[in-house]
Amino acid sequence: MAKTQLEEINRNIYDFKNKDDYDYKIKKGLTREIVEEISKQKNDPDWMREIRLKALEIYNQLEMPTWGPDLSELNMDEIATYVRPKGKMASSWEDVPEEIRNTFDKLGIPDSEKTSLAGVGAQYDSEVVYHSMKEDLIKQGVIYTDMETAVREYPEIVKKYFMKCVPINDHKFVALHAAVWSGGSFVYVPKGVKLDIPLQSYFRLNSPESGQFEHTLIIVEEGASLHFIEGCSAPKYNKVNLHAGCVELYVGDNAYLRYSTIENWSKNMMNLNTKKAIVGKNAQVDWVSGSFGSHISMLYPMSILNGEGAKTEYTGISFAGKDQNLDTGFKVIHNAPNTSSVVNSKSISKNGGKCTYRSLVRIMENAKNSKSSVSCESLMLDDFSISDTIPTNDIRTDEVEFSHEASIGKISEKTIFYLMSRGISEEDAKAMIVRGFAYPISKELPVEYAVEMNNLINLELEGAIG
Amino acid sequence: MEKVKLNQTPVRTCRNFKINNIDFTDKIPSRIPDFHNVKIAQETGKDEIITDYEFDNFEVKFGSGLEDQIKEQANQKIKIDVKSKTDKEIKVEFDFDEENLKLVDYIEIVAEENTTSNIYIIYRNKLCNEVQDHCDDPSQRCSGVQCAPYKAYHNGLIRIVANNNSKVVVNIINLMNKESSNILGVDSKIEDSAKLKLNIVDFGAKTSVTNVYSNLAGKEANNLINSIYLGTDKEVIDMNYIAECFGEKSNINIDVQGALKDEAVKHFKGTIDFKKGCKKATGNEAENCMLLSDKAKSLALPMLLCSEEDVEGNHSASSGKADNKEIFYIMSRGFDKKSAEKLLVRAKFNSLLEGISNQEMKQEISYEMDQKLD
Repeated sequence: MAKTQLEEINRNIYDFKNKDDYDYKIKKGLTREIVEEISKQKNDPDWMREIRLKALEIYNQLEMPTWGPDLSELNMDEIATYVRPKGKMASSWEDVPEEIRNTFDKLGIPDSEKTSLAGVGAQYDSEVVYHSMKEDLIKQGVIYTDMETAVREYPEIVKKYFMKCVPINDHKFVALHAAVWSGGSFVYVPKGVKLDIPLQSYFRLNSPESGQFEHTLIIVEEGASLHFIEGCSAPKYNKVNLHAGCVELYVGDNAYLRYSTIENWSKNMMNLNTKKAIVGKNAQVDWVSGSFGSHISMLYPMSILNGEGAKTEYTGISFAGKDQNLDTGFKVIHNAPNTSSVVNSKSISKNGGKCTYRSLVRIMENAKNSKSSVSCESLMLDDFSISDTIPTNDIRTDEVEFSHEASIGKISEKTIFYLMSRGISEEDAKAMIVRGFAYPISKELPVEYAVEMNNLINLELEGAIG
Repeated sequence: MEKVKLNQTPVRTCRNFKINNIDFTDKIPSRIPDFHNVKIAQETGKDEIITDYEFDNFEVKFGSGLEDQIKEQANQKIKIDVKSKTDKEIKVEFDFDEENLKLVDYIEIVAEENTTSNIYIIYRNKLCNEVQDHCDDPSQRCSGVQCAPYKAYHNGLIRIVANNNSKVVVNIINLMNKESSNILGVDSKIEDSAKLKLNIVDFGAKTSVTNVYSNLAGKEANNLINSIYLGTDKEVIDMNYIAECFGEKSNINIDVQGALKDEAVKHFKGTIDFKKGCKKATGNEAENCMLLSDKAKSLALPMLLCSEEDVEGNHSASSGKADNKEIFYIMSRGFDKKSAEKLLVRAKFNSLLEGISNQEMKQEISYEMDQKLD
């Protein structure tokens, strides 16, 4: 049987790089002096400076993960944790420095803003360079701004929620994040306000040997709803770049939040991101996640279902090619009665890439009548790639319905044969099977990303059957 | 209390998930006296069985973690060299009592080419068959599993080599009492077209740690692992099953069925690892845990690791209480709830029990199951 060739992700649209031209770049490494300098550069209030310094202490105490991908290539002495681009944050693209504006033009962000988004934030290296939102949302009390502005203008809200959902001692890279965080988005949706079209933040890391540590804090109040899209990319350099962002989501009673991420980091990127949501009574958070880029990813969004009747869904796809080790998955804690979770994960590995699905479903003693259903499927397209499934299921009460199923394998020859017996060519049959495999995920992606993903899944067949 | 990490998974996951190993806190005896209550029987007389077998130094790729004690202090060393071609039984029974409390055993089973064997290895507390002072219910006969006037300790390793075209069935029955400690490793190598079926009944001990490693080395090597467990009180059951497929068209099937009552805890770690070159290998792993109490806990880590494209691997896991509709249906036929639950647990265990050809053994397992579920 001929091999099905699935092309690597075409990265040309992401790999263009600008000159490493910045307003300020902190020296490489991670010391108290550096953390204090970042705090000074950002004009932090005292309480934020204290969080940073406490986090640095914790970072130094915690050990590196003893599981998952090998992170030995990461040397914090070679990473600059803060790079301020030229220009101030603007609310008009015209006011963004030309080279940076061109970058986001090429990524299609301003076009999407015009056609399908209610608001856009754009971060370049360590700072947000552009933020805007439709007028009618401002009138309804929606706040969508960069985190620095939020710290300055809404200190009480930020103090109440910042690093509470994700505590700074959660793991080593959360502590790192809290020590050197910069940029990111703050969204506040007041009670009962429903956004019909999404907000999008895009994160671009241009500077070599640097890190991006943006903090996203979203609060969706009771009965409100929001779709938030996060995109990220970077050009490829020879040395390691680091992304250790943090996303904290608070979804109030009866509220709804959909958080979509399309991650397309370059293949020198270590993507060690942390995302968590706390979900209230009868509320729902849905995660849609596409992981295509990075050299190493460790990314496991988490839903904590604290309110009775809370729900969560995770829909994710990973595509690992050459030199990629994508260790992704999902964690959910059922911490109230009648909660439910649905997980649907797919992965494709080829050309020596490694995909790992790693997860946790924990149903606590008080989560009576909860339900959880997990499905993960892995497709391998050659015999030198790797695909692992490592799910942990922790069930602590009897009044639950829990099921988990996983499968691993290559494109089924029987299915190809069946389709061919219906008059479909072998090439078309294989293309159909791979697209069908990815379809449950791609249909959940924002439409422009779904189209892009389908274009990326471009089958090229070689040889003949035999 | 000193903790010893046992049953480490072949691949670690997040430490906070608390499943990479078990912290074993039961006392590990430093002195192992002789153990005399061993019965060995074979129906054909054609197989060679050596007691006091002086085994060579061995290494296990994955093990429980207490292999050194076996190397240094084993008080039972048995080798079974299978030569016969019938499925007549070989039975090895270890009975614990007040004079035989500590067993460290090494059993080596070598099935020669084209042979057939059906081996029982039983670890049990001796049935006293009398009403004793410690009996909770004086009207009942003592149960080996439930009757616990003393603590026994068992650490054992069963090594199996299934040579080409051999068919081996090994039934491992743990009916130790509810105060005891059980640590058992099973390490097997399965060659071309050989078939190894492991039936594991894990009903006994306060803490039961079982490590099963299968090396499917040969082409069309076949391994079926059927396991049933039953936990009550505060028992802890930790299972670490690892199968590595090296041979082309090799097949591994793991089916684990269990039930937990009271505050019992179960950890199941199952790994199927498709190694590069095991083309057309297949692997299936199913784990199902029936929770009969809202304080019982089920922790599972069913892993699929894959470095070969041309394979098919599946796993499934489920947990939850007995289906209300099924309970209702049985109760509508005149049974009380406890009997209905018992029937459902028995139904789950049936496929393994049906595979046990020895009727006496089957009855004993059923009796102990009923005692535990009462």
